[in-house]
Amino acid sequence: MERSFQKVEEILKKHQYRKENLIRILLEVQKEYRYIPEDVVNYIGVAMGIPPAKIYGVATFYSQFSLKPKGKYAIQICDGTACHMEGSVPLMKAIEEEIGIKPGEVTTDLLFSLDQVGCLGACALAPVMVINEEVYGNLTPEKVKEILKQLKERDDSDV
Amino acid sequence: MKIFVNGKEVEINENERNLLEALKNVGIEIPNLCYLSETSIYGACRMCLVELDGQITTSCTLKPYEGMRIKTSTPEIYEIRRGILELILASHNRDCTTCDRNGSCKLQRYAEEFGIRRVRFQNIEKPAVKDDSSPIIRDNSKCILCGDCIRVCEEVQGVGVIEFAGRGFNSQVATAFDTPLGKTECVFCGQCVANCPTGALTMKNDVDELYRALESEKIVVGMIAPAVRAAIQEELGMNEDLALAERLAAFLRTIGFSKVFDVSFAADLVAYEEAHEFYERLKNNERLPQFTSCCPAWVKFVEQFYPEYIDNLSTVKSPQQALGAIVKKIYSRKLGVNPDDIFLVSFMPCTAKKFESEREEHKGDVDLVLTTKELAQVIKSSGVNLKKMTPEPFDRPYGISSQGGLAFGKAGGVLGCVVSVLDEEIGVVKEEVREINKGVNLVEIELKDGTSFKALGIFGLGNAKDILENIDDKDISIIEVMACNFGCVGGGGQPYPNDSSVRKQRAKILKDTVGIKTLLTPVENYYMIKLYQEDLKDEKLKHEVLHTNYKPRRRVEETEFEILPVPDEDKIKVKVCLGTSCYSKGSYNILEKVVDYVKKEDMEGKIEVVGTFCTENCGASPNVVVNDKLISDATFEKVLKELEKNVKR
Ligand code: SF4
Ligand code: SF4
Ligand code: SF4
Ligand code: FES
Ligand code: FES
Repeated sequence: MERSFQKVEEILKKHQYRKENLIRILLEVQKEYRYIPEDVVNYIGVAMGIPPAKIYGVATFYSQFSLKPKGKYAIQICDGTACHMEGSVPLMKAIEEEIGIKPGEVTTDLLFSLDQVGCLGACALAPVMVINEEVYGNLTPEKVKEILKQLKERDDSDV
Repeated sequence: MKIFVNGKEVEINENERNLLEALKNVGIEIPNLCYLSETSIYGACRMCLVELDGQITTSCTLKPYEGMRIKTSTPEIYEIRRGILELILASHNRDCTTCDRNGSCKLQRYAEEFGIRRVRFQNIEKPAVKDDSSPIIRDNSKCILCGDCIRVCEEVQGVGVIEFAGRGFNSQVATAFDTPLGKTECVFCGQCVANCPTGALTMKNDVDELYRALESEKIVVGMIAPAVRAAIQEELGMNEDLALAERLAAFLRTIGFSKVFDVSFAADLVAYEEAHEFYERLKNNERLPQFTSCCPAWVKFVEQFYPEYIDNLSTVKSPQQALGAIVKKIYSRKLGVNPDDIFLVSFMPCTAKKFESEREEHKGDVDLVLTTKELAQVIKSSGVNLKKMTPEPFDRPYGISSQGGLAFGKAGGVLGCVVSVLDEEIGVVKEEVREINKGVNLVEIELKDGTSFKALGIFGLGNAKDILENIDDKDISIIEVMACNFGCVGGGGQPYPNDSSVRKQRAKILKDTVGIKTLLTPVENYYMIKLYQEDLKDEKLKHEVLHTNYKPRRRVEETEFEILPVPDEDKIKVKVCLGTSCYSKGSYNILEKVVDYVKKEDMEGKIEVVGTFCTENCGASPNVVVNDKLISDATFEKVLKELEKNVKR
């Protein structure tokens, strides 16, 4: 992956390196990289003259920010009560079998990331998962594997 | 100003910062867990409640006014405070008996004072992030999130290495990306430790190493810093004992120390050397203003944040390291033993001194640094009553000091001592001191030879930062900086409480102790003069023993990050420094041009481009490394030339 600092510089310039714009700067960084990388935090710290700990504090305070890379397909699997009862654990196992990651991890090609979350508000469809805003309900391990396979294929034909 | 406290008329000072402070100054301490006089007001713990016109409100955020009527302790306030304490205790790791702050913890004290005997709420265990990578130990399971450490580090010290991270129940004090403190820009001043109300921040305890050394065959030699003798009394129930250092010397001999020297002797030596160094620089108008270098926290601060000022630091070692080198390189010869057979223990008020002794260039000179707190532990556990110990003099030849050397323990001491040497050697005709800010003194000095100059005495790294950012007075020729407020008497290794009022009291005790010394200036210290005349005759040895050097120091651990990565082994690698110095000198532009060049020339896959933060060569920034060759004062043209050379090959 080419991590050009040009983008960060552009974002910083746009916000005139102003400390009061830190949150906006981080939001744009997040959009650009899908997470806030450690070296970008250090870079922003240098460019704006803010201790990196401060930026880290802000980035961990707001749940919009992620300090770990998210996959191109960010999977959220619901482990709320309903989904748990309906079998969210086997789903996680299926995901692990198919793409080799556990909750909190991301595949090395950055295609998929997996997070376990509390109720997604779709209990009627339990068990559910959300991939980039799209909700998939009434899942079984087999269905999950099928969805992931399709996404992989879609990505291959994209390139 | 008159106010009414619990129905009684009370006279308070005008212009107090808040009610909490005003009442403290008339002897009423309102319980508080997140207020420090030295930092901004946080107002989060809500322990400091008072009742004002029937309303309950926090006194740390309340400005006093004429005739205000307040109640400080009502049944309701009492109940609320107990509730707060129970809530805090419910998520607090309560293993008090094995806690470093057992007996000196504010939370423990309040729990006792409010008679908390059980906690009504369910215990919630906090994730214990323990960090013992440096002289400062962090244990978040004891943290009550008062934020004192964060505000001190950022506002008083200008470092800002810790911050609240996360939110809600998960919020914690953290460094960026939870990097261990030992690998960050922390300068180990221990001011966060000094102000933490609980055992969440403590100092490393190395007492076991002392006992191991005492058991070994080695000759154990001790040395005691000035500020230790002004503070250790607090731990031992003594008060204003002016012979404390001599009692300590006697005590250390009873537990197996062969010799006990006085760090003040080395302070004389350091001031003498530094005064000559300064006079040279002043005459030649070079590397001014000269910065004192006896505070290791300040030295690390300059190395990390102000590399452009590294040459301004005096090259003279700190008293600890100077005496360390003398004992190992000169004294060992006198004893006719191998330097390795001597185990040198330094008693210091300071957490940063532990770090200093382990710096590459000093390694092996001082074997162990123990803080005042650790020394107090050794004394207490021995059962000896120091009050009853008959004072004994320090050992010669490094046991005599002048008033000047002993005054090193408080802010202004180093500068004063340097000036006293100048007075003896050249003559001072005018010396005027003026406080220009809290923690910043300006001294105007005129010498007999007609030269005049200004000097600054600063405590607090935040103060030093402000001065460095705005220094424009060319007459300022020498600056003393002590990281800790009030100087070493307020060091991070001193007993608790370690607040401003205690520090002022220690400075007073030290001043009184200084007053009974008969030698006034280092020049009168005949042992020191003899050392120069006999042992330090050889210039090379003198330089090796008394002087040192500094280097730019990166703030974040060495990392390289990919910009245009090339997986192959066979490649040309361009590393562009994006650290503060290089960045401010335009290294980003060089990076941009290099990337454009690689793309334009179709060299992707052959030339790899990476970035890094600080190559520790900030003096000649911007820096770019092509393969292994460092190009300093780099321009794109210079980098291009080197690249082309490599491409041809
Ligand atoms: S030791 Fe000093 S620099 Fe380090 S975290 Fe504490 S206050 Fe900050
Ligand atoms: S570490 Fe200590 S000073 Fe810092 S927030 Fe926690 S309790 Fe307060
Ligand atoms: S001022 Fe003294 S105690 Fe504080 S860090 Fe510096 S040398 Fe240590
Ligand atoms: S001391 Fe006032 S709110 Fe904490
Ligand atoms: S910032 Fe230190 S060498 Fe570049």
